[in-house]
Amino acid sequence: MAIFTRAPKAEPILGQNRAVAMVLGVLTWIIGLLFFFPLFWLVVNGFKEESVASSSPTLNFDPTLDRFSEVTEDSGGLLSFTEAFGNSFWIVLISTVLVMVLAIPAAYALAIRPMRKWRDILFFFISTKFLPIVGIIMPIWIIARDLDLLGTRTVLVVLYTAMNLPLAVWMLRSFFAEVPKELIEASQIDGCSLLGQIRQVILPIVAPGVAATALLCVIFAWNEFFFAIQLNPTGASTIPVWVNSQQKFQGQFLAGLSAASVLATLPVVLAGWVAQKRMIRGLAMGAIK
Amino acid sequence: MSAVVVDQSKNGGTPTSDDLARAAAIKRMERREGWKRRLPVLPALIYTILVTQIPFLFTLFYSLTDWRIDKVEPRQFIGVENYASLSGDKFFRDAAWISVQMTVMAVLLSLIVGTGLAILLDRKFFGQGFIRTLLITPFLVMPVVAGLMWKLQMFNSTFGIIGWVMNGLGFDSIEFATKYPLASVVVVLVWQWSPFMMLIVLAGLQGQDQSVLEAARVDGASSWGTFRQITLPQLRPFLELGTLLGAIYLIQVYDHIEVIVGGQPGAKNLPFYIAQRSIGGGNVFGLASAYSIVVVIASIIIANIGLRVLSNLLEDNS
Amino acid sequence: MAEVRYQEASRIYPGTEEPAVNQLNLDIGDGELLVLVGPSGSGKSTALRMLAGLETVNMGSIWINEVDVTLKPPQDRDIAMVFQNYALYPSMTVGDNMGFALKQQKVPKAERAERVAEAARILDLTEYLDRKPKNLSGGQRQRVAMGRAIVRQPQVFLMDEPLSNLDAKLRVQTRTELADLQARLGVTTVYVTHDQVEAMTMGHRVAVLNFGVLQQVDAPKTLYAAPANKFVAGFIGSPAMNLFDAENVDGKPGIAGVAVPINDAVAAALKGQSLDKVSVGVRPEHLTLGTAGIEGEVTVVEELGSESFVHVRTDHRGEATNIVVRDRGETQTARGDRVKIDFDGPLHVFGEDGQRVTA
Ligand SMILES: Nc1ncnc2c1ncn2[C@@H]1O[C@H](COP(=O)(O)OP(=O)(O)OP(=O)(O)O)[C@@H](O)[C@H]1O
Ligand SMILES: [Mg+2]
Repeated sequence: MAIFTRAPKAEPILGQNRAVAMVLGVLTWIIGLLFFFPLFWLVVNGFKEESVASSSPTLNFDPTLDRFSEVTEDSGGLLSFTEAFGNSFWIVLISTVLVMVLAIPAAYALAIRPMRKWRDILFFFISTKFLPIVGIIMPIWIIARDLDLLGTRTVLVVLYTAMNLPLAVWMLRSFFAEVPKELIEASQIDGCSLLGQIRQVILPIVAPGVAATALLCVIFAWNEFFFAIQLNPTGASTIPVWVNSQQKFQGQFLAGLSAASVLATLPVVLAGWVAQKRMIRGLAMGAIK
Repeated sequence: MSAVVVDQSKNGGTPTSDDLARAAAIKRMERREGWKRRLPVLPALIYTILVTQIPFLFTLFYSLTDWRIDKVEPRQFIGVENYASLSGDKFFRDAAWISVQMTVMAVLLSLIVGTGLAILLDRKFFGQGFIRTLLITPFLVMPVVAGLMWKLQMFNSTFGIIGWVMNGLGFDSIEFATKYPLASVVVVLVWQWSPFMMLIVLAGLQGQDQSVLEAARVDGASSWGTFRQITLPQLRPFLELGTLLGAIYLIQVYDHIEVIVGGQPGAKNLPFYIAQRSIGGGNVFGLASAYSIVVVIASIIIANIGLRVLSNLLEDNS
Repeated sequence: MAEVRYQEASRIYPGTEEPAVNQLNLDIGDGELLVLVGPSGSGKSTALRMLAGLETVNMGSIWINEVDVTLKPPQDRDIAMVFQNYALYPSMTVGDNMGFALKQQKVPKAERAERVAEAARILDLTEYLDRKPKNLSGGQRQRVAMGRAIVRQPQVFLMDEPLSNLDAKLRVQTRTELADLQARLGVTTVYVTHDQVEAMTMGHRVAVLNFGVLQQVDAPKTLYAAPANKFVAGFIGSPAMNLFDAENVDGKPGIAGVAVPINDAVAAALKGQSLDKVSVGVRPEHLTLGTAGIEGEVTVVEELGSESFVHVRTDHRGEATNIVVRDRGETQTARGDRVKIDFDGPLHVFGEDGQRVTA
């Protein structure tokens, strides 16, 4: 009986005609593949010989892993892949941990037991994101120079923490706000300490949100280039600076650079793929919830 | 019998010392409670102020001096002279104009492309999740890599894909990034930011109140009518949010410019120019600081509009 | 075992003028099941949360077992609370949920397991101990919430509309079970509901709140038979009491031109009061359709099988006014009939101040 068929799902914007749906599906595929094509080509080029990469584009070649081993070799005094990777790894890890340590209590104070004027505080955090980095880069450079911190990992840890903190507070607050108030009250009545409350009651619920937030911080810190090149262009610098240094102004280098780019991008792209749904919910819903 | 117990005669209305002590204890408890609530936010707050707000005050101070870091002369306080000189400073005006063009074009185009992609993705088709994953990938790519990749393997006239396609179509290939530096940067920015806009709009489309859409269908609205009259208004806050977040980031673009056009003129925006004139070797810290303050003011204007939008969102929904 | 006392306890939410609970005085006996009832927003939850320690008491004090707990945090009050949405910890199993409070009190593991098992047995939850709350039905979740409370063996149970998320049938069944459980355990219980049937059937005594002010606290029977004021009279009872501003009929209070029968004591008490500012009330079962009395026309007949409620439109103080009459057995009337309504039972008279005029 017709009544028992499923309730109609809301109609998609572009109509429900089967032929139209088919065409639109194909169109979406084409656009999706086109968007991805530059990255696909990047991977392909990474497997080419330099001479092949530097001539007219082709898919007809013998793939080789040589470029990957070349770019990861020690390059005689210059920033090597291993060094850059190590620097990036530690800088990103420590700054993300710091961000979380600072942002989780803040999100608690803004969402679970909101202090008075919590909106103003949240706005302050967001509004620091509106302060262009160029507005503060000079004093930071001077201070870092005077403290002998130019060219160290420390300066990047400090700055990446500040860079990601507002975003993390913003996202975490929205995840924390989803914890039912009664759960917190029940745990209070059950005699849970504040720490126990966070560890045993809140974190199990918001863990996926915390993970997504941390991941976004990792992505932004990993990809950051401006601070890295301005404050830390030398030995202690990070992966983006290393990739940039793979451009050479003589000879053929496209295949090598492509291989380097793939190595630099892969960790973050994989992480982003895994967490895509939750990340965007945190970002977009941060404003809505 | 009934027992309506409102015993106001107790104590005859005058508070005893016991009552006062209790009232004070309650006050103390409330104050302690207030601090207990505030305390967790303080570390993050103080850290943010130290690393972002204090340096900004320094910038403000530098902008009122004639400080050049390469000269030993003591820096002198020159008031608003740096600012006064801005209107006659051709380089500054060029950079500011590039900034405006770049931000507006990148934000608008990625918003349009992103909305289109979101609408296409918001329907069931084979491989939906896969295509969505492909589509968000550009946003995850390191800006430096995105810039290099487009410059060398897309825009390059000998081994770039665009040149190859144009050759195939019978046109001469050109050095795209040199000939059209601004457009090149914008193309890469749109490639990276459309996925972001798409995700935000998609969140809006999927968060729609389905029952309203169904009601509209029952009322016989066409799909286009439903979109215009119901979906679009519901989508507005998401479009605004996308515009705001996009503008915040895109006004500060540096990496792409550094990598794609480097030192050449034609696509140097204010952040790039400021870095060049100060710590990048230009050394005129006083003047560059004044530039920075102008960027900050422009951002504050955008931010104010944006924050009003955000605050409406928070008011409506909590 | 415990007694509970509210003493002049008030709660004023920050940013509001009116107290949500206004100078509440209430004594709850050991082992008693006291129900707090009132319309939405009357301050029931607030009163309960003040006792739980979840809301600050701005004025007055709260005592449990002769100990002033006004300034104590929730965990030091030895209470257990059942929430409307149950507030089960989603990441813990049923067993862990029930044992959580004991774990916080550092009760040894073996004893904890024993007490959880005992509570689970009482509530018929033994086979669900290893499940997560999300894999339970609404009724089972409700029982887990109860179990979490009884495992603690607290001084006082606090329950805020614990049955309102159940469907109607289950609600009635659980209501009885809950009252039975409370009687067996003998733990002092404060129970909040907005459902007056629940209040009347469960409460040893019922406290009626309105706008944060306690209206009356009494055994259900007394509350029904002798409401202390107009608000309680109108609030308790289903269908509601017929309650009207009276009119002056030959120096007596009357309805639709007919004087109501009052005894001399009441008449004396009314002396000096303006009769059209006095109110009279009569429950539907204390009216009959007869040959004399208030005249009117039947508009609706609600047939319930064992009884029926006849709605009669009359002209009272110049306005069309509805009077509900209970008719036992199958009624003989139908819409459109002209009938006469006679008094057949107690009347309730409320003076100008809205308070009951006791005879
Ligand atoms: N956190 C709060 N801040 C300000 N006012 C509040 C707060 N909580 C409750 N109120 C107000 O206090 C009054 C009493 O609320 P309370 O929740 O105690 O009512 P209730 O009797 O439990 O109602 P319901 O049956 O709807 O649950 C209401 O007017 C309510 O608006
Ligand atoms: Mg309530």
